[in-house]
Formats: sequence, structure tokens, C-alpha cells
Amino acid sequence: MAHAPEENIEQPKRRSFLSVAIALIGGLISIAMGVPLIGFAISPALKKTGQKWVDLGVVDLLKGSNYKPVKYTFQFKDGWVETTKKRSVYVTDKGNDEFVVFSRVCTHLNCFVRWNESDQQFLCPCHGGVFDKEGNVVAGPPPSPLQKLPAKVENGVLYVKES
Amino acid sequence: MKDKFIAFIEARFPIKALAAHIRKPLPKHINLLFSLGSMVMFLLLLQAITGAFLAFYYSPSPDHAYDSVNFISKEVTFGAFVRGLHHWGASAMVIVTFLHLLRVVIYGSYKAPREITWVIGVLLLLVVLGFGFTGYLLPWDQKAYWATIVGVEISGTAPLVGKPIAKIIRGGEEVGAVTLTRFFALHTIWLPWIAFALVGLHLFLVRHLGSSGLPKNTQEEMQEGNPFYPHQVLEDMVGIAVLFVILAALSLFVPVHMEALADPTDATYDPRPEWYFMFLFQLLKYFQGPLEVVGTFVIPTLGISLLLLLPFLDRGERKSLRQRPVALSVTCLSVLLIVTLTILGVRSPKLEASAGEASAVKGSTAETISDGTAVFDFGLDFPKTEQSEEPTSTDTEVFDFGLE
Repeated sequence: MAHAPEENIEQPKRRSFLSVAIALIGGLISIAMGVPLIGFAISPALKKTGQKWVDLGVVDLLKGSNYKPVKYTFQFKDGWVETTKKRSVYVTDKGNDEFVVFSRVCTHLNCFVRWNESDQQFLCPCHGGVFDKEGNVVAGPPPSPLQKLPAKVENGVLYVKES
Repeated sequence: MKDKFIAFIEARFPIKALAAHIRKPLPKHINLLFSLGSMVMFLLLLQAITGAFLAFYYSPSPDHAYDSVNFISKEVTFGAFVRGLHHWGASAMVIVTFLHLLRVVIYGSYKAPREITWVIGVLLLLVVLGFGFTGYLLPWDQKAYWATIVGVEISGTAPLVGKPIAKIIRGGEEVGAVTLTRFFALHTIWLPWIAFALVGLHLFLVRHLGSSGLPKNTQEEMQEGNPFYPHQVLEDMVGIAVLFVILAALSLFVPVHMEALADPTDATYDPRPEWYFMFLFQLLKYFQGPLEVVGTFVIPTLGISLLLLLPFLDRGERKSLRQRPVALSVTCLSVLLIVTLTILGVRSPKLEASAGEASAVKGSTAETISDGTAVFDFGLDFPKTEQSEEPTSTDTEVFDFGLE
């Protein structure tokens, strides 16, 4: 304690230097750890997922389809799992190998819409969204029309572009 | 001998100071409503303990989650009871936390100098809801799957950052294996650590600032009530016991509802959230087209902000709610709104499955697709086979389970 007065004069400067040094070391470690960890956590979101054509089945089987619900499967890598992804769409035959394929994913919050034949409308079971036969919003919360998936016929097989 | 032992310990660990601390008298007139905080604390411990045990058997992968949860319920000794406690405990947690919050609002306990205690409490409410949201994905049944799709998509409607945030939460474009491990990590590691850190701060402040007491308490009465230990603790224990008996009875007599295995193509399913998110579900129906974001983002954000800022907005002298007309009407309206929306949501009619659904044709059955790999359709429409009735069902193909 004999040195107290002397230290009191020096301390403020030295203390602020020490504080800065502590913050600097802590900050550097935090950045060195934080950047890779954040990258680690959000990594799946940074990956691009390409679209590809997936077959919906032989055209002959789909002839005359009128808002027909069609389930199909395709191979997909879900994280580390090679899995068979299952999907469902509505297919309408327009004749001359032309098909209209509606996604069933409601544009509101991704619930599955259902085709109602008597009203000629798509209905969403969640928050009451309604789309007309062209996929336009008729009622409810959906902000945009039902998505029409790109479709093509090759060698007698209907393909749809899967995102 | 006993004194000597106590002296030995006292020299190394401040038991006398701690004993004096927990014997500190509380304010007068403290009633049963002041036990709600302890009841939340009990529920948090109950969830932590039952959850830690459930983790012995649970497997966080789309191929195994559903089976492992069924295994817990059907084959593990006391499995249905332990899972029941965790399931019903979650609902109790939401209710009791909400009541605790209401008590604090009614008595104006959030007012100076307890603003930070309140803010931490609101954060804890959000943590509780986070536990709920991440927890009910884990069984990987239909409700889990579809409610999570909708829930994550709600965050996706936030302006600008919504889409990337939804993608980060899901760990990709769709709810799948990565989503499940993420939610499991959040539910069992991140949220518990955050919860216990916040509870530690919350309790520290409650002890440091002392109980708020009732608005009618005079300055003298603040130190004249019963000691925390053993009087208040006993009252808390009675409340906790009642709560536990209710939860145990539910766990014993009401089996936890388990829906079919999550099926991304099942269009006959009507997605509904857990009851405590029902008010939000119902709210979303009223905001249409470009106003969608009002229901999904604006109102929830405003609601949470209002809660967080409450002690800084309502800064008047501490009085009972009856003498605070603005606070009274806002509180009553909010409670009424949440209860009404919840009831409307629970009672909202479900859609009829459309007629064409049953005749759905299968597209690609083991046909070649564009990238050249053969696809084998596991067949959702398979007729029920003998296989699914075998008792050793945990090892059979995952898709068979949706048929049980």
C-alpha cells in the first residue's frame, strides 16, 4: 500500500490500456470463432439447388386428365440422406400432348391445396385460400397465383420441371 | 460435534449467509398468484428431466424419429408416462407462464426498478414458445411436418430477410433431415442453455430487488411478511403438487395423440398447429393478398415489442390494474382477442378431401428419370400388408408406418 499514491497517478492510463488489450484479445478470438461457426450454421442455406426435369408418367395414362392429382417420386439428396422425394401435382390434358401442371403448394404458407370439382376451384385447408381453375387467387390470404410448373412431353412421357 | 461440523463448512462455504438469504421475509399479503413463478420453474425442471430421459431413446432422423417416439410410447417401461409428462408439461408451461405474466401485469410488478426483470421474463416467454415450436416437429408425424412447414414459412414472409431466414431455419429449401437435426439441437441444447441462463438472471434480480409485493403494500409491510423459506416455499410446493397431480393424471389416462407418419404428398391432411399457436393460425386468415405480411409479421412483431417495452410505456406510479384504465383495457382486450382467436381456430371447420384424391395415379414407378437414376416407388397406396402387423415394427420399412 506504500506505493498507492504513485500508482494512482499511473493507473488510469495503464488501466485503459489493459482494458483495450483484453477487449482486443477477446474480440479477435470471437471473430476467429464466430465467422466459421456462423458459416457452419447457415451453410445449407447457401447451397444452390438446381432444377431438373422429373417424369410424371406415360402420357397414355394421363390422357384426358382433368385436374387429376398425380403423385410422383424422384431421387433427392436431403442433407446427407439420399432419399426418395414424394410430390403431388394436378395434371390437366389440353390435347395434342400439351399438359397443364399445377403445383399444389399454396402460395400463402405452403399447405397443400385441393381441387374442388363442383366449384372448379382449388381450396387450401389451412387459412382458407381459394384459387380459380387458372390458379388465380379468388379469396383468402395467398399473395400470388398458384404456380404452373413447366411441363413437356418427350418420347411419350410427361416431364415436369422440379425445383 | 454438529457445531464443529457447521463451523468447518462455514469457513469454506457461506451456508449461514445463504440460509439468512432464503429466510428473508417477503412483503405482507402475498397470495397464491405469487407461486406461479415457482410453478414455471418446476415445469422447466420437469421438462429438462423428462426430456433428458426421452433423449435416451429418441432418434432425430426422418427415417427413425417416428418409430423411436412410438417405441418410447409403446415398448419402453413407463415410456408413455414419461412422454406424457413431457407432452402435457409443455402445454402447462405455456399456460402457467402466461398466468405468471398476467399476475405481473395485474399488480404492475414490472414497474421501476423491475424493468429488466420483466424484459428477461418476456424473453423467457419467447423461449417457451420456441421450445414448443421446435419440440413438436420431433415426433415427425403429420402434424409435426405440416405445422413446421407453415411455421417456418411465416418467418419467410418477413420483409427482405424473410426468405434467407426461412432457408436457414429449415437448413435448405424444404423441411427434411437437416431441419430435424437443427430443431433437435435447438430444442435440447441451445434453448435449454439460453433458458437456464435467463432464468438465472431473472431469479437473481427477483432476489436482489426483492419481491414486488402487492400495490397496496405500504413501505413498512414490504419486510413484514412470512419468510421465503419455509413459508412461501411450502405454499409454492402445494401449487406444484396440484400441478404435478394434474399432469400425472393426464399422462396416465390421456395417451399422447400421435398422427400418421409425415407424408409430403398427403393432400387429405388439414394442417393445424398446437393449440397454443392456434390464435396466430386464426389471425392469418384475416389478412389477404398484399396484407398477408400484416398477419404474419407486423402484428406479431408489434405484439412482442409492446410486451418488451411495457414497463417503459406504462411508467406511472404503481397501482393495481383496476386503477390503471389504459393498461386494464389493453390487457383485457389482448386476453380476449387471444382467447377468441384460439377458440375460433380450434373450431374452424376442416376441408373435405376432394373426390378425385383416391384415384390418384402413380407417376414414375421404377422408370428412368432425367438424371438417369431409377426410382422405386415405395407406394403410399400399398394395401395394408401383414408386415405392418408384426410386433417388431421398429425395424420395418419406414413407409409402412403411415398405414398402421
